Amino acid sequence: MSAQALESDRATNAVGGVPEAGPFDAWLPASAPATGEPGWLTAARTAATERVRTQGVPTGKSEGWRYTGLRALLEQGFTPVDEPLDAMLREDLDDLLVPGLDAHRVVVVNGSFAPHLSDLDDLPKGLRIGGLRATLAEDPDALADDLARIAGDGAHVFASLNTAGMGDGVVLLADRGALVEKPVELLHLSVGMDEPKVAQPRHVIRLGDGARVTLIERWASLGDALYCNNAVLEIGLGRDAVLAHRRVQLESPSAFHLSGVYLRQGAGSRYDGINVGLGGRWARTDLVVRFAGEHAECDLSGLYLAGDKQLIDYHLDVQHGLPRCTSRENFKGIVHGKGKAVFDGLVYVAKDAQQTDAAMSNRNLLLSQGAEVDTKPRLEIYADDVKCSHGTTVGQIEPEMLFYLRSRGIPEGLARRMLCLGFAGEIINALGNEALAGYVSEAVGGRLQAAPL
Amino acid sequence: MLSVKGLKATVDDKEILKGLDLEVGAGEVHAIMGPNGSGKSTLAHVLSGREGYTVTAGSVTFEGRDLLELDPEERACLGLFLAFQYPVELPGVNNTYFLKAALNAKRRYHGEEELDAVSFLRLMKEKLKVLHLDDSLLKRPVNVGFSGGEKKRNEIFQMALLEPKLAILDETDSGLDIDALRVVADGVNSLRSPERSMLVVTHYQRLLDYIEPDYVHVLARGRIIRSGGKELALELEQKGYGWILDEAAA
Repeated sequence: MSAQALESDRATNAVGGVPEAGPFDAWLPASAPATGEPGWLTAARTAATERVRTQGVPTGKSEGWRYTGLRALLEQGFTPVDEPLDAMLREDLDDLLVPGLDAHRVVVVNGSFAPHLSDLDDLPKGLRIGGLRATLAEDPDALADDLARIAGDGAHVFASLNTAGMGDGVVLLADRGALVEKPVELLHLSVGMDEPKVAQPRHVIRLGDGARVTLIERWASLGDALYCNNAVLEIGLGRDAVLAHRRVQLESPSAFHLSGVYLRQGAGSRYDGINVGLGGRWARTDLVVRFAGEHAECDLSGLYLAGDKQLIDYHLDVQHGLPRCTSRENFKGIVHGKGKAVFDGLVYVAKDAQQTDAAMSNRNLLLSQGAEVDTKPRLEIYADDVKCSHGTTVGQIEPEMLFYLRSRGIPEGLARRMLCLGFAGEIINALGNEALAGYVSEAVGGRLQAAPL
Repeated sequence: MLSVKGLKATVDDKEILKGLDLEVGAGEVHAIMGPNGSGKSTLAHVLSGREGYTVTAGSVTFEGRDLLELDPEERACLGLFLAFQYPVELPGVNNTYFLKAALNAKRRYHGEEELDAVSFLRLMKEKLKVLHLDDSLLKRPVNVGFSGGEKKRNEIFQMALLEPKLAILDETDSGLDIDALRVVADGVNSLRSPERSMLVVTHYQRLLDYIEPDYVHVLARGRIIRSGGKELALELEQKGYGWILDEAAA
C-alpha cells in the first residue's frame, strides 16, 4: 500500500509546530462520526483532520498552487452542507439532462446520493450502484481496501478535508467480468443555499478483473448558484478491467469546483479518461494515477475553456512505478477574454519502470490579449529504457485559416468559432458517445458565441 | 464585371503592384501570366481581400461596387471566388460542414433561406457527379491529409457549389501532375458559362492548353506590359519572358 501512498504538501506556514486556528476549520465535521462507522474509516478521518492542521492553506509559493490563488475561495466563507436536500423533483432535472443519452443514472444533490432522482432499476448483472453511507451501513468493510486507501494522503489539503469531512457519495462496484453496455451517468447537481456551502462528496468506483464500464460524470447547477464542491473519486481497476470515464464540468459561473480523481490500475487494465472543463468561476482538478501491475494503459485527455472571471486548472500526476505501462496525456485549452487556465502535468518514471511509454501534450489557443495560460509539462525519468515525450503549444488562431474561411463568404465571428470547434473537435469526438459529444459541442459553441472573440 | 484601374499595392512597405489596369467582361476567361515575383499572386490576394496588403492608389470595381472597401466575406458573397495556390488545412473542421456554412452564409447574405441538411446533401451529390469526385473527401477535415491533387479538386468543388461570378484561379496548376491537371481543368471547363468570368493566374502556359483563355496578359514588375489573345501564351512558351521584358523596358 505504501507504494501508492502520496507525499502530501507539507505546510510552510505552521508556526513552531503548534496548530493555529486554520481557515478550513469550518469545513471539518463538528460532531463525531456516525455510530457504526468502521474503525478504519474513523482512523482515516482522524489522520486527515490532523493533516489539515499541519498542511494549512497552500500559498502562492506552494508547489502546485503558484498560479491558482485561493483568496477568492477563502473569502466566501464556505461551511459544509448540513442537511441533504430532498425537495428536488425529477422534473427539475429535465433541463439538465443530455438529450438522447441512454444511461443508468445516479444523481448526487449537494454532495449526497439522491436515490429518488436516480434511475437504477435495470442495472445489469454484476453491477451494483448505491450511496456511500448506505454501502458502509450494509457492509462496513466492503470498501476497506479502496476508500481512503487509493487516494492515500491525497495531493493536497483539499483531499484531506474531503476525507475528514466526507458524508456521502456514490459507490459503483462492477464484479469480475461484468460487461456493462449502457453507460452509467453520475450527475452532480448543485443547488445554491442561503449561505455559501461546500459539499464534499466521496465516490468509490471499483471494477473487478476484466470488467468493462463507461462512466459519464457530470457537474451541473441550478441557476447561477454560488457554492463549492470538493470531491474525491477513488477508482480501482482490477486486472484487465477497462473504464471509459467522461467528466464534464459545466457548473454555474459563480461556483468553485475542486475534484481529485485517484486511480489505481491493475495489470493490463485500461483507463480512458476525458475531462471537459467549461464551467465554474474557479475550478481545480487533480488527476492522480498509480499503477499496481504491468502492461496497464492510462489515457488522460481534456478540453478546457476559460473566459472572463474564470480560472480552470488541471493538475496531472502520473507515476510510472512499474515497468511496461503506457500513459498518454493530451489536453487542449481555449482561453478568451480575461480567462486564465493552468495546466501542470507530471509524468514520473521510477528507476525500475523500464519500457515505460508516455507521451504528454498540452496545446492552447489564446483568443485575446488578456487571456492567460500557465502550462508546465514535467517529465521526470529515472529509468533508461523508456519512450517518453512531451510538447506544449500556446498560440492564436492562424490568420491563414481565418482568411480561407472568410474568402468563402463565412463571417469572421462564425469562422473563428468554426476554427475553435475544430481545435476542440479532437477531444469532443473522442468522447465516443454521440449524445454526449453533441451536448459538449453545443456547450462549447454556445460559450464561444457568447464570448467576445 | 471587374474593372481594375491604376492599382498600386504594397506589402511590408514594398510596392508590388505599380499601376495595374485590367478589364474583365462577363463570361470572359483572362489569363494572367508572368515571371516569378511579378505580382501575380499579390493581384489575386488584393482582389480577394487578404490582410497584409495595402492599396496605395487606384480602384477596383466589381459589378459596379467598390471592391476594396468590402471584407473578404462580403466579396465572396457578392460572387468573387479565389481558388488558392496553397489550399489551407483546417484541422477538425469537417469538409461538409465547411461547405454548408459557406453556401448558407452566401444565401443569408442574399436574403435566401438556408438549405437544410437534406437539400444540401442532394446538391452536393449532384455537383460531385459533374466533377467526378469521390465523396470520401467530404467526410474528412478540410484539406487535412489531402494530396496536392485532392486539394485543388476540393477548391474546384467549392467553386462549383458556390457558383461565383468571378473565379480567380491562383496557380491552380502548381504541384499537379499531368493527370491531376487534366481532371482539375475539366472541372473548371465544366463551370464555364456566359455569366461566369475567370481570371487564371499562372506561370506556365501548360494550364492554358486545357483551360483556353479569351485573353492573355503579361504581368511584370507590377504592371501589365502586354495583352493579347491565346496565341500570346504560345509565344511566351516558345520564347520565355525575356524578350517581352526587354521590349517593355525599351
